[in-house]
Amino acid sequence: MTTMAPAAGPSEEREQDVPASAELAVELDRVSAYYGSRRVVREISLPVRRNAITAIIGPSGCGKSTLLRCIDRMHELTPGARVEGRIDYHGMDLYAPDIDPVAVRRTIGMVFQQPNPFPTMSIHDNVAAPARFNGLLANKAAENELVERCLRQAALWDEVKDKLKAGGTSLSGGQQQRLCIARALALEPDVLLMDEPCSALDPIATLQIEHLMADLKRIYTIVIVTHNMQQASRVSDQTAFLTLGDDRAGFLVEMAETVEIFTNPKQQLTEDYVSGRFG
Amino acid sequence: MSRSASLAAERLRSTSSARRARERALEICAWASLVLALVPLVAIGIFLIGQGVRSLSLEFFTSDPPGDLSATGGGIRNAVVGTLMMTGLATLVAVPVGIALAVFSREIGGRVAAAVRFVVDVLAGLPSIVVGIFVYSLVVVATGHFSGYAGAVALAVIELPVIVVATDELLRLTDRRIDEGTRALGMLRWRSFLSVFIPTALSGIITGIMLAVSRAIGETAPLIFTALGNNFFTLDLNEPVQAMPLLIYRNALNSAFPAARDRAMGTALVLVVIVLGFNLAGRWIARRARPADQR
Repeated sequence: MTTMAPAAGPSEEREQDVPASAELAVELDRVSAYYGSRRVVREISLPVRRNAITAIIGPSGCGKSTLLRCIDRMHELTPGARVEGRIDYHGMDLYAPDIDPVAVRRTIGMVFQQPNPFPTMSIHDNVAAPARFNGLLANKAAENELVERCLRQAALWDEVKDKLKAGGTSLSGGQQQRLCIARALALEPDVLLMDEPCSALDPIATLQIEHLMADLKRIYTIVIVTHNMQQASRVSDQTAFLTLGDDRAGFLVEMAETVEIFTNPKQQLTEDYVSGRFG
Repeated sequence: MSRSASLAAERLRSTSSARRARERALEICAWASLVLALVPLVAIGIFLIGQGVRSLSLEFFTSDPPGDLSATGGGIRNAVVGTLMMTGLATLVAVPVGIALAVFSREIGGRVAAAVRFVVDVLAGLPSIVVGIFVYSLVVVATGHFSGYAGAVALAVIELPVIVVATDELLRLTDRRIDEGTRALGMLRWRSFLSVFIPTALSGIITGIMLAVSRAIGETAPLIFTALGNNFFTLDLNEPVQAMPLLIYRNALNSAFPAARDRAMGTALVLVVIVLGFNLAGRWIARRARPADQR
């Protein structure tokens, strides 16, 4: 380890004596989420490794999406919703009183199940607008550069470079989803949360998104919620398995390296689920 | 033919003929209701054109009515300009206030929104003559004289609920996923409304505005004791101002005089053409406002 060459990019600032694998971007500590008085997520602790893909799997209604939405403070936007426990982002408490939830959402991007490009905006504007509104762009040249860079990162540039002025909703479903990824990247987030990003897409578009994720994790930390266990095993580095408890709240059964979860799970519940013997 | 085959044929034929008859009846009903709806519309159109078109001349648009209603000649310039000024000012006030009201009540939600919606519903149901009296006591009594401003306020009150309801309905239809998208991108709320929600709903909002303008431009009752009317041409909204519905009303009351009657008919025709023009312009703008692939 001591002779390791200095890594490029975001990993430069890593401490020499800390193995890269140990560095956490986000750390959930006994997080519970409520809708009114109903608890839907029960005391989940989850270390999210930096520059890795963390998959959250589990049956429908076990609180996977809710848990994801706690991380970028979207959960609290639902009237009556609240969060207990602690979520750290590089050691900072995301729920501290002096933290601006809007700033959290700019730092931690999110991609939704259904592609949701802004219907009245062109492809170019869909990517540029959020960055422009957040004052990240100095001039038109910087804007064009950002749009190209983000569309390239989202593996969409070659398909749309000749029709940047076309409406964002004129694209196919898979292209729209990549446009939404590009739009999220335009804010230069650090963490990307993906809530079943491929469930509305066909297998080819799904594969494209998966390849894209593998590329993106060099720069970003990714947390993906997925129903598709093959997808989790294909793309993720570590996997968390959630299920529904007797109290109708989701809880964490097991979290480990993805290989471990799918080949050698410690818990019977996990084994039943990943081998399709669930319920 | 086997027995089962003939049975089958009988069954299939009988149901299909019954179904066809029912379908035919529904089709006739649909055509009948179309004709029924078109009859008054076409009748009004033919009547207005037949009665009004002979009044139309260059003079009709460029001069003001004669002092004596029974006299021939003169035009309706003052009324056209007065109507456009007052309706224009009313729209200028009612559109931003109406949209803002809809947006804020939607955003705040809960009891405030319910209260706003209730007040708007009441306002929408208010007879226009009551709006006239209300503005009379509020503006005319306070300022001590009738004025175009008072008329514009009355028309704005007429327009407001139409715009609020239209905007509210459209924002309600705006996709929840789009809303989440703006939130997740850390967009400020006013930004999302200005740059995403309003543009998405724009074509519908414009239709709502056109509806409001069409309603206001033809209102007579709220203007009787606010703008009052004026036989002379004026651009000063601080004075009593003439309006086309007022001119129709006063001239039609004197229908014993052929000149007054013709003037009323001519004005009515011009008013209808203006409303039609606004509607067509609104549709055109609304279509332009939609993204290219949804036109």
